[in-house]
Amino acid sequence: MGDGDEDSSINIYPSREELPPLIAEILDEDEEVVAVAKTDLVGSSYGEEEVVLTNRRLMVLNEKIEICLKLSEIKMASLHSYVNTCVMSIDTIEGPRSLVAFTKARLKAFESLVALINNMAVGKIPYKLLKQHLLSRKELESRRDASSRVLLRLLRALRPAWPLLVTAIAVSVAVRLVGLVPPYLLKILVDEILIPRANIDKLAYVALGLLAVNIVRTILNTINSYLNTRLNVSIANTLRFRVFSKLQELSLSHYDKFTSGSLFSRVVDDVNRIQWFMTGSFAMLFINTSMIAFIGITLVTLSPQLTAIALTPIPVAVLGSTIYRRLASKYYHKLWRRWSKVISVVSDAINGAILIKSFGKEPEIGYKFSESLSEFEKAQLEVFKFEQKIWPAVGFAFTVSNILVWWLGGTQVLEERMTLGSLTAFTSYMWMFYTPIFNLVENVKSMQIAAVAASRIFEILDLDPGIEERPNAKDLCLKGDVEFDNVWFTYDGVHYALKGVSLRLRAGERIGLVGPSGSGKTTLIKLLLHLYEPQVGAIRIDGIDLRDLKTSSLKRQAAIVLQNPVLVDATIAENIALGKEGASPEEIIAAAKAARAHEFIMRLPEAYDTEVGTRGSRLSGGERARIALAAALLKDPRILVLDEPTAALDALTEDEVTEELERLTRGRTTIIIAHRLSTLRFVDRIVVMDKGMVVEEGSHDQLIKREGLYRKLWEAQLRGLVRVNQVSVSGRHAR
Amino acid sequence: MPDNASRVKLLDPRRIRVLEARLDSIDVEVEGKVYCGVRPKRPFPHSHPEILILYCGEEELGLLRDYRRLDAHSRELMERVLSIMYFVPKIRKIYSIKMVKGRYEWKVLTDKGEVVFQTWSKCVRVLPNGRLTVRDVDGRVYYVERPDELDPRSRLLLSMLL
Repeated sequence: MGDGDEDSSINIYPSREELPPLIAEILDEDEEVVAVAKTDLVGSSYGEEEVVLTNRRLMVLNEKIEICLKLSEIKMASLHSYVNTCVMSIDTIEGPRSLVAFTKARLKAFESLVALINNMAVGKIPYKLLKQHLLSRKELESRRDASSRVLLRLLRALRPAWPLLVTAIAVSVAVRLVGLVPPYLLKILVDEILIPRANIDKLAYVALGLLAVNIVRTILNTINSYLNTRLNVSIANTLRFRVFSKLQELSLSHYDKFTSGSLFSRVVDDVNRIQWFMTGSFAMLFINTSMIAFIGITLVTLSPQLTAIALTPIPVAVLGSTIYRRLASKYYHKLWRRWSKVISVVSDAINGAILIKSFGKEPEIGYKFSESLSEFEKAQLEVFKFEQKIWPAVGFAFTVSNILVWWLGGTQVLEERMTLGSLTAFTSYMWMFYTPIFNLVENVKSMQIAAVAASRIFEILDLDPGIEERPNAKDLCLKGDVEFDNVWFTYDGVHYALKGVSLRLRAGERIGLVGPSGSGKTTLIKLLLHLYEPQVGAIRIDGIDLRDLKTSSLKRQAAIVLQNPVLVDATIAENIALGKEGASPEEIIAAAKAARAHEFIMRLPEAYDTEVGTRGSRLSGGERARIALAAALLKDPRILVLDEPTAALDALTEDEVTEELERLTRGRTTIIIAHRLSTLRFVDRIVVMDKGMVVEEGSHDQLIKREGLYRKLWEAQLRGLVRVNQVSVSGRHAR
Repeated sequence: MPDNASRVKLLDPRRIRVLEARLDSIDVEVEGKVYCGVRPKRPFPHSHPEILILYCGEEELGLLRDYRRLDAHSRELMERVLSIMYFVPKIRKIYSIKMVKGRYEWKVLTDKGEVVFQTWSKCVRVLPNGRLTVRDVDGRVYYVERPDELDPRSRLLLSMLL
C-alpha cells in the first residue's frame, strides 16, 4: 500500500510483502518497518533518498544504506527550516547529526516521521500502536476514493422510495409514448388527406385523435408532477435523516476531521444533487432508453437507409461521454471543495462573530471570503472549459447526420421512392430520437455529479462511530469510583496528548487537575466522558470498563461544565433543562439558584424565558458559565467535571462560586481543572499534569514542599498577584 | 449532596391575600405577615405565566406555583398589576406581512387594537404550551395564543415566518 504517488505524506506498509524490494531485503528477520518518508533532494541537487524507520533503527537509503542509527542511540529528532528547504537532524549520544535535506513539499511527511521517532525513541511508545493508528487513518482516506459502485449503493439506500420511484418512471414513460402519436397522425394527414385531397371524413378523426392525445398527455403530466414532488421530498428526507443521525452518532474525533462548512454542504448541497438526479436524470435514463427503442423501430419501419445515417453520430456521442466520465469527477470534486470552502468561511464568520468583531478582523474575513469566491469562480470556469472540449464536437456530428438525412430523403421523395408524409414523419421522429440520445449523454453527466455527491455522503455514513459500546453494555447506577489505567491517546495518530496516564479517584473524592496549557487535562476528561476512546489502556468506573457501560447510563450520571460553555439557541430555561428531561419549573429555578444564576436571570425582563441567541451570544461569559453549571447540577450527577469553572468570573463572584462549589461537590466524584489555583482550596488532592503525563500528586502543602512544577505554577501566580497589587498601589500614589 | 429542591420556597396560595394593587407593586399578606411594595415577577413570562416569584425589595418571599388559585379579589388585583408589568398584545388577525427594506412589516389586529410593527426573519418562536411569540425589531413581544384558531389568511401569512 505504499503511496508512491503521494510522497508528500508518510508511507506505511501493512505487511513485509508490500515493501519495496530494496527495503525488504535489508531488514532483519524480526524487524518491521513503521514508516518511510522520501526526500526530494540529495545534498543540494534534486534526487530521492528514503528515510526508513523500523522498530529497531533509523536508516537513510539511496540504493544502499547510507546512514544507520539504532533507536537506542537516538536522544531526539528535530527539523530545521530554511528558505525552501528543511534538514532533519538527530541528537545522538555522540552529538547532533544532520541526516537528510528536502524541500518544503515533503515537510508534512517529515514532521510525521520526526514525531514518530520521538514517540518511539524518547516517549517509548510501542511501535505497533503507532503503526496501527497510521494504518487506520490511511484506510479511512482510501475508503474515500472507493466510489465505483456508489450509485448502486445509493439505490439500495433509497429502498423505501422504490415503489414511488417505479410508479413515477412508469408514468413518465407513458407521457413520452403518448407524445409519439402526433407525428404518425401528421403522416396520415399529409399522405392520405392533404396530397390526394381526399378522405375528408378522416380529417375529423385525425383532429379528434390529436385532441385525445393532448387530453391524455395533460392528465398524465399532472399525475407525473404530483409523483415527482412526493418523490423529491421522500428522497431528500431519507438521505438527510440518515446523514444527520450519523453525525449525532459520531464521536468528537470525527468532528475534528471535517470543517463545519463541509458537513453542512453534505447535508444540504450533496443531498440536493442526489435528489435532483434521482427525480430527474435517473428517471430520464429509463424514459430515454424506452423512447430510443420505440422511435428506433418506427424509424426503421419508415426508412432503414435513412435510419442508418441517423445512427452515425452515436459512436461520437458514446466516445464523448466515455471521455467525460473519466475526467469529470476530478473537475467536479475540485468545484465542490471550493464551494465547501466558501460555506466554511461564511459559517466561521457567523459562529466566530464575537471573536472577529472584537479583534477587528472584518477586513481579513472579507478578503478570505472574496478569495474563496474567486477560487470557486476559477473552478467553475475550469469545468466550463473542460466541457467545451467535448460537447460541441458531439453536437457537430449530429448536425452533419441531420443534413445528410434531409439531402438523401429529399432525393428519395423527388424520385418517388418515399412519400412526403413519411419524410416529414421521419424527420420529426429523428429529432425525437436525438433528444433522448442527447439526454442520455446528459444523464451520464448528472450521474457523474450524483456519484460524487453520493460518495461524499457515504464517506460520512461509512464512518465508524469511533465510540465502542459493547453488545452487553450495562445500564448501572454509579457510585463514582474512577480509574484511568495506563491511558494513551492521540488525536492525529502521531502526536500523543496522553502518555500512559494512571490515576484513581475514590467515589466522592474531589481532585484538582492542574498543569500548563496542552498538558492533557481537557483530553483526560473528554475520555472520562467517553467522547473519545483511548487507543491503549482503559478507563473504569466502579471497576467497569467504559465500553461495557451504556453511553446513555454514563451521560445520565456524569456532567461536565466546559471552560467556554456554548449554549443552544433557545431560552435560558431550555438550556438549563438540557440537564434533565422534563424538568419542572421549580427544579430549573432551584438549579439556577445553586449555580448562583437565579439573581441575574430574574433581573432580565423575560427572566427564564429570555432567548440566549446563537451559542449564547446575548449573555456574558460568566453568565453562560453559570447557566451551564445549573444544567449540570440539575442532572444531580455522581461524577462532575468542571473545566475552569471560574475562569470567566470576576474575583468576587469567583469567591462566591468557589464557596458554592465546595458545597455542591460534596459527596460527588469531582474533577476540577483550574489555572487559578485558589479555586482548588477545598479539593482532597491535586494532580499535576505535564506533556500528557501525571507528574505530581498530593495536597497543596505536600506539592509546595516538593518544589516541582506545582510550586513553579503557584509562585508564578503569586508573582502575578504581587505585580497587580504594586500597580494598584502605585496608581493610588500617582493620584 | 445538597438538595436543590430545598432552595425554592413554595408559597401556599390559600395563605396569601393581596391587599392593595398599584402600578407595578402590591401590598400582600403572606402567611400572616404584611409586606408592602411587593413586586410579583414571572420567572417564565411566556411559557408558564401562572408562576410568580414575590420580591419585597431584594428579598425573595417565595414562589407561587399558580397565582390563579388565589382568592377572587386577590387574583383580580394581581392580574391588574401583571397586565401592566407584562403588557403583551395578543394577535387576533394578521392583515399583511410585507418585506420593507430587509425587514418584515406586520399589520395586525391585537386584543389591544391595530398595530404595525417590523421584525427580522427569525422572529417567531413556538413555546412548549403551543403559544407563539413574535418579537419585533425593538424587542417587543406579541402572542399568538392559538395559531390554529386564526383565520386561513392569517395562518398562511404566519406560516411564511414560522
